[in-house]
Formats: sequence, C-alpha cells, structure tokens
Amino acid sequence: MSEAGRWIHHEVEEGADILYLTGVWRLSNLIAIADALRALGLAARKHFVLDGSRLQELDTAASFILYRYLATIGCTEAMVSARRFARKHERLLALVHERMACPPAAGKSMHLGLLQRLGAAAINMWRLLQSHNAFVGALALELLSLIRRPKLFRLKETVSQFETICLDAIPIVALVTFLIGVVFAYLLGLQAQRYGANIFVVDGVGLAICRELSPLLVAVIVAGRSGAAFTAQIGTMKVQEEIDAISTLGLSPIQVLVIPRLAAITIALPLLVFVGDLMGIAGGMLIAAWQLDIFASTFLDRLHSVLPMSAPVVGMVKAPVFAAFIAIIACRMGMLVARDARSVGMNTTSTVVQSVVWVIVLDAVFAVVFQRLEI
Amino acid sequence: MDTNATPLTGQRSDAVLKVDSIVTRFGREVIHDGVSFTVERGEVVALIGGSGTGKSVLVKEVIGLLRPAGGIVQLLDTDVWNCGQEEMNALRRRFGMLFQDGALFSSLTVAENIAVPFLEHTDLPAELIPPLVGFKLALVGLPPEAGAKMPAELSGGMRKRVALARALALEPEILFLDEPTSGLDPIGARAFDSMVRVLSDSLGLTVFIVTHDLDTLLSIIDRVIVLSAGKVIADGRVDAVMQLDDPWIRDYFSARAPAARGGN
Repeated sequence: MSEAGRWIHHEVEEGADILYLTGVWRLSNLIAIADALRALGLAARKHFVLDGSRLQELDTAASFILYRYLATIGCTEAMVSARRFARKHERLLALVHERMACPPAAGKSMHLGLLQRLGAAAINMWRLLQSHNAFVGALALELLSLIRRPKLFRLKETVSQFETICLDAIPIVALVTFLIGVVFAYLLGLQAQRYGANIFVVDGVGLAICRELSPLLVAVIVAGRSGAAFTAQIGTMKVQEEIDAISTLGLSPIQVLVIPRLAAITIALPLLVFVGDLMGIAGGMLIAAWQLDIFASTFLDRLHSVLPMSAPVVGMVKAPVFAAFIAIIACRMGMLVARDARSVGMNTTSTVVQSVVWVIVLDAVFAVVFQRLEI
Repeated sequence: MDTNATPLTGQRSDAVLKVDSIVTRFGREVIHDGVSFTVERGEVVALIGGSGTGKSVLVKEVIGLLRPAGGIVQLLDTDVWNCGQEEMNALRRRFGMLFQDGALFSSLTVAENIAVPFLEHTDLPAELIPPLVGFKLALVGLPPEAGAKMPAELSGGMRKRVALARALALEPEILFLDEPTSGLDPIGARAFDSMVRVLSDSLGLTVFIVTHDLDTLLSIIDRVIVLSAGKVIADGRVDAVMQLDDPWIRDYFSARAPAARGGN
C-alpha cells in the first residue's frame, strides 16, 4: 500500500466518489495525514462519501484537517456525506463540522514603522509624565489633610517600611560604597603618586564620596531594592483588587500605602548616605595606607582640615529629594499595574529605569544649582 | 440535556483513573485519610465536598503536581507517583487540566496560549498550527477574532473557554476541570456545562469535575463522589446520592435543590 493509501483511499463505486479513511486518524499522525490528503490530488466533484468502515481512531484535529482539505478543493457542506462510521466517530465528525468556521489566520501582531513607534513612545511618555504630575497633586492634597488630622498617619506601617528600606539595606550599601572608596582612592592614588601629591588623595576621596558618589550610589541601590519592591507590592495588591478594597473601606490608598513608604524612604535615604560616606572614606583610607603610605591618623587629620562641612551636608540634602522621586515613581507605577501578572513585571522594570534616570538628572540639576550658589 | 445518551453502559468498561487509599497531610493536619475511587472511560464525574476538604489538592495529586503522603494514583495505566520522568511526560500529553482561574499565560495572546501545547509537544509544521488554533477556538465557541486578544482583555467566561481550548489542544483522553463554573453568571455557567457535555459525548472524553455548583451536578454529571472529613462518603448516581442520609449531603442538596429543580 502506498504511503498515502495508509490513510485515505479514493475509489469510484457506482458513480459515487468514496473516500475510505483508514487507520489511526490522530494528532500524532497529522502531518502524514495532511500529506496523504494533498497527495490524493482530488478535484471538486458533485458528491463525496466519507467511509469510516476501515477507520480505527479519530480525533478532532484529524477531522478538522480532512474538512479543511475538502473545503480548499471547493467542496461545500452539502457535497460531503458520511457513512459506516462508528457512532462516536459520527458524533465527533458532526461536532467538528458544526463548529468549523473557516478560521482566518490568527491576527498578526502589528508592526509599526520606526516613526510611528517613536511617536507612540513619545505620546506614552508624555501621558506618563502627566499622570505622575496628577499623582503628585493628589499626594500633596493627602499630605495637607494629614496636617489637619495627624492621627491619620500610620506610624506602625512607616516604621516597618523604614526597617526594610534602611536597616536591611545597610550591609549592601556599606559593601558597595566601601568598594567604590577603594577603587576611587586607588585610581586617584596612581595619578597623585606621579606628582608626589599623595596627600591630595585625601581631599579627592573625601569630596567625591561625600558630595557625589555616596548619594548617587545609595539612591541607585535603594531604587533597585526598595523602589522595585514598592511597585511589585502595590502592583500585586492592585491585581488582587486589594486597592479597591481599601477604597471601599473608606480609606485612602495614598494614606495607607504611599505616605508611609514616602516618609520611610525620605528619612532612610539620608541615613544610608551617611553610612555610605563613612564606608567610602574607610575604603579610601585602606588604600591610602596600603598604597600611598598615608596612615589613618594622617588621613583623618588631613580630612578634618580640607573637607568642608558643606560636602556631606550637600550629599544629605540631595538624598531626601532623590528618595521622594523614587517613592513617587515606584508607588505610581504600582498603582498603574493592569490586572495581570505580566504588567507587574513590566512596571517594576520601568520603576527602576525611571528612578535611576531621574536620580541622575536631579543630581546634574543639583550640581548646577550648587555651583551657581557657590556652595 | 439528554443525560441518557451518555455511554455509561459503554462497550468497554476500562478504568482511566484509579485512586487508591490516598493519604494527605499538611503538617499535622490530615486532609485525606484513605481516599479511593475509580473513574471509567467516557464518564463525566463530579467531586464535591465542603470548603477545605481538599478537592483541589486531590486533583493536584492525581495529575502529578503534589505528592500525597501515601496511596497510589493510577492514571491511564501509569502509576503517577512511581514512574520515570519520560513516562510522566508522555502521560502529560494524554490528559488536560483546566485550572480554577484559567491560568492563561498573561504575556501571550489567546492564540499563542492555545498554540503552546502544539509547539511544545508536537512537530506540526508552522502553517498547520494557526488553523488548528482557530478550530480549537471554534470548538469551545469563541470567534476567531478572540485569538488576537490578550488574556487580560477577556471576561471570566471567555478566559475559561480559552483555557479549555488549551487543555483540549492535544486531544486528551481525560479532562480535569477545577471549579469550571465558579465566577460565571448562571447563563454562562450553563452554557459552559452543556459545552463540556457535548464535547465529552462526541469526543468520548472522560471528564473529572471538581465543583460546588449544584446546577452542574443536576444537569451533566453521570456520577458524583462526595468527599467529607478526609474520606469518600458517597459515590454513585446523583439521584441516588441525593437520597443518602448524611448531614452534609442533606444540607448541600436541600440548600438549593428546590430552586435548581424548578429551573430545570
């Protein structure tokens, strides 16, 4: 028997076209069946009779392929009839026949041109900024009402947030800033040694760590750690309709969820920056002693005389501003989560990206402002 | 719905699922204390029981997601908890599972969701898959346009239909449904029920339904298994089980039976 004959056999009996279905018509044999049908090379006739007497098994996929083939060669429903099928196969064929709308290929995902995508991205960005703005407004109103009714403030929630944002972050913040202190002092030392200006490494490390590196790095760490967590927490609550439940209970989601986080992170970040200052300087001190023969006492003495108080203060003034931006972006993105798991992931990513970008933009703005103010 | 047309008296009476003295414990809490029953090919069987009697847990144990503390599950002649990875994977192609909330992959469109089993378990050529997916959609009564939608855009009823289409993709021999009608309006629920019955009758599918829905029980179920206090307390035709003198069964059926019967 030929390969095609294993599945389907065409015979003309008494002027009628009979198609004998043979063997196991199941999904696992679907490719061979489709090939066999194509190999038949039938043209549309007046009438086809499907014969099931030689059929062992049949499933919906195989029946669908058969009807689809008959449709492609131009057979209409009225031109096909079935005979000698087992009762269950008959029922199955009937169901497939009934449900078979000719399905168009599944909708292709839209491919936009470069310009269109650019435009769509710009519009989305604009809308996002607008909605951030509106959110800041709502937040400000809630903060005002907090001044009138201080009892609304959720101290317990704030303290527990503070613990996860600040205390739990100390090890990672300490490690990262310490290592940056080491790297910075090492590179600076290499240059300073050439000119015999070893002692100026102290000036450089102190200023850079306190004024720029520590605030920036700590903000980035907190954005990645706590900002992402805010979005994921609030987003998951949104998916579970917990936010709606909060509103329904007569509470304001901003009071319950956003303000404690905002307060905690605004207090936590300057403190973490202080930890970062100390650890960064400690890292620099280690390298200074090891590579440049500046001992700790000399280092501290020099630091005391050259590092203006304004440097760490500037760093710690910037921190709460970074913190507020991170909290607002993170909570906002959490609230914007749609009702599915995927958007929690997307918004969390977006929170981290937006926070880091904003932190750097703000840092640049601060640099210019402080320059003008000659601080 | 003509319940008499079911192949209960079927030519072959082979068991597709045998559950033998299953024991489940969560910590010290005993959920199942020797649960046993059998499901024959072509039957539509319901598992009922109060909240917390471990109905969904039992289904998870049957399909190999959660290991019971003791007992044997024999699904399509494979010992689920005593077989190799290969055997288990082969078995997974032979049954379908509809999770409570559909469990559609939220990052894929409806059509992609249904295509997943085809792509993972068959080597069908790419041009055959979209028409098959479209057909599966039609089979569960969804328009082809639904294929391009994301799961988040669907209503609860449509979600369940899509999940059913995905569960039916590989032409399973047995289908597990976990609370298929929960969260659907009565009209949608009845439509879903009758669709399940039609599919089961014409595809010769064995269906195992975990449900709370009395209307489902009274309309499409051949046999009902009642789980209570860790044991099977009743197993039989719905009308027979209804007559049993057990407090929980009495409460369950009397709670809504008059209205439900009036509706039929």
